[in-house]
Amino acid sequence: MIKEIRQTVKQLFDQNNIDIFIGYTEGTLPLRKTPCFITKAEDVDKLVWDSFCTNNLTVYLPRFFVPKPREKEPKWPKVGILVSGCTGRSLVGLFKEKQVPRENIVIVGVPCDGVVDIKKIKGIEINEGSENKDAIIIKDKTGKEKEFKKDDLLADICVSCSCSVPPVHDYLTKGKGRVTMVPYTGVKEFEKMSREERWAYFEEQVSKCIRCYACRASCPNCWCKLCFVDHTLPQWTGITNNVSDVMFYHIGRIFHQAGRCVDCGACVAACPVDIDLRKFTYKLIEDVKVFYGYEAGLSLEELPPLSTYKPDDEQEFMTEP
Amino acid sequence: MKQRIIKKNKVMDLLSSLSESYRIYVAGEEKEISRFYEFNPEREILWDYSNTLIPAKEILFPQNQTLYEYRDQDITESNAKIPDTIIFGVRPCDAHAFTLMDKVFDTQEFQDPYYLKRHKATLIISLACNIPGIACFCTSFNSGPDGEKGSDIILHDLGEKLLVKSVTEKGEELLAKAGKDFSDPAQTDIDSKNKIMESAKQKISPQVNIANLKEKLDQAFDADFWDTLHRKCLGCAVCTYLCPTCHCFDITDETEKEVGRRIRCWDSCQFPLFTLHASGHNPRPTYKERMRQRIMHKFNYCPENFDHTFCVGCGRCVINCPVNLDIREVIKEING
Repeated sequence: MIKEIRQTVKQLFDQNNIDIFIGYTEGTLPLRKTPCFITKAEDVDKLVWDSFCTNNLTVYLPRFFVPKPREKEPKWPKVGILVSGCTGRSLVGLFKEKQVPRENIVIVGVPCDGVVDIKKIKGIEINEGSENKDAIIIKDKTGKEKEFKKDDLLADICVSCSCSVPPVHDYLTKGKGRVTMVPYTGVKEFEKMSREERWAYFEEQVSKCIRCYACRASCPNCWCKLCFVDHTLPQWTGITNNVSDVMFYHIGRIFHQAGRCVDCGACVAACPVDIDLRKFTYKLIEDVKVFYGYEAGLSLEELPPLSTYKPDDEQEFMTEP
Repeated sequence: MKQRIIKKNKVMDLLSSLSESYRIYVAGEEKEISRFYEFNPEREILWDYSNTLIPAKEILFPQNQTLYEYRDQDITESNAKIPDTIIFGVRPCDAHAFTLMDKVFDTQEFQDPYYLKRHKATLIISLACNIPGIACFCTSFNSGPDGEKGSDIILHDLGEKLLVKSVTEKGEELLAKAGKDFSDPAQTDIDSKNKIMESAKQKISPQVNIANLKEKLDQAFDADFWDTLHRKCLGCAVCTYLCPTCHCFDITDETEKEVGRRIRCWDSCQFPLFTLHASGHNPRPTYKERMRQRIMHKFNYCPENFDHTFCVGCGRCVINCPVNLDIREVIKEING
């Protein structure tokens, strides 16, 4: 598959179709791949694609299309990007929200078999790691070896993924991608808890927050030029990591995801203190699906429900106490 | 200074008795976050960790700190009483970092009372690293797995027992006072410690070359490499907030009618707001300038102003960066 990707990207450079390509390359830590920016055909061999390519690369795209003051005819680059199912959905969102011009993007899609979440390996410092078919073999710092089934380490978002192929693409490599799908029941279970228990869980989770904003920084949807928490005139929220301030931030961020979050898992992966953010963003995904029959990032044409008004929109929730 | 031996199973008793007169912090884990927690005999002490996720800097320089509170004309200083404190089992890199923080918070022009008062009341007991972590590169910064800078006492884990070495008078005083479980080390203990440290040092082969880095950066403010180095940076504050030497903060007032408080909170040069002027102008408008600032501050401005790089090689930013932007690679690239 990687040969196909490299070939496609090389061709894109050779035919002058792109100025830059965003993909993945080898990381500096075991079981880690890292985003990379390729600017010439000779470098395409640096590209890799495997179960450790976890970052959502579309987060970088809006940076290329920032209007400069007094620039009448902006010269924007042609950007190639490697996307899988979920990151491809993020890209659709960026097109629809007009953060990225479709005509400047060349999408190399890859059907995704799911990625590994190394945070699932708990209590072990990984000093070495390798992949052998369906097994992930790691060594801790004393040299002790341990083997995991890849399926057991699959990122939660991949376990319940229903879209392993990018919905919009210019090129698509061969393959089917992951087809088994086990629905995410985290929200259903959460809803069974009492109001007090739910609040306590939310409080417990966000109280870990150190306000590094890695969740915001890693999210392609968080493209606001000025985030609501960064407003100083007026200052809408306190800047401490006291629990009331972090709650305000997280509630704000999560609600801004309604009808937009594609469950790519970037925020969860980026969070250094492992806050269970997905439980809350997923609730909104389910709500938007129930109320509006809409799933974000699947089609370029379908109107986003929360920026659209229809006279027959469901309005019951507005009058609920 | 003096070296002693204590059995590891006596440490809990020792800490328990010390906790009557000191507030003690030990490395522990809660909700999967390793950091320095207040001592509690029920909580397991971490001995084999490479480094805590959250550095011990938060004890002397908390993420939020109330400077004073006020009601009408009455002002209450919040720094008035700092209890005597022990930080137990901190890694040598974190202890080293305190000596760097001192350089910033205790200058001829300014003495930061909030940090200094805490530091003065604190005794630092470090724990040498028998098996360093995968991203450790402390040996690049005049230190190592048994580095003593910043420590009052350093511990060496010899399995069943600890070799305890006082580094400062303050440390020696505490050990002399708390002495009943200590014995003198045998030569075999010293040999065993030396052997462990040798192997630890070998595992941290010098990974970055900072020999001429400062001079290189002197000429590099407009260098081309900044255009590409920052590219994958997301602009979050994982690297700066988890860094034991990053010390920037923001001061704000929380006010409601006549009641309020002035607080200072960690801030990060990686945020656009950090340098946003009241006029709306931002001298560091993009990721490029912000990344350059972080590198320049650590490896050029601080060596210029304080005679030391503001990196101790703890590896936290390497391990926790969401996009694996590895500062060791950045330095390599700058070195060319």
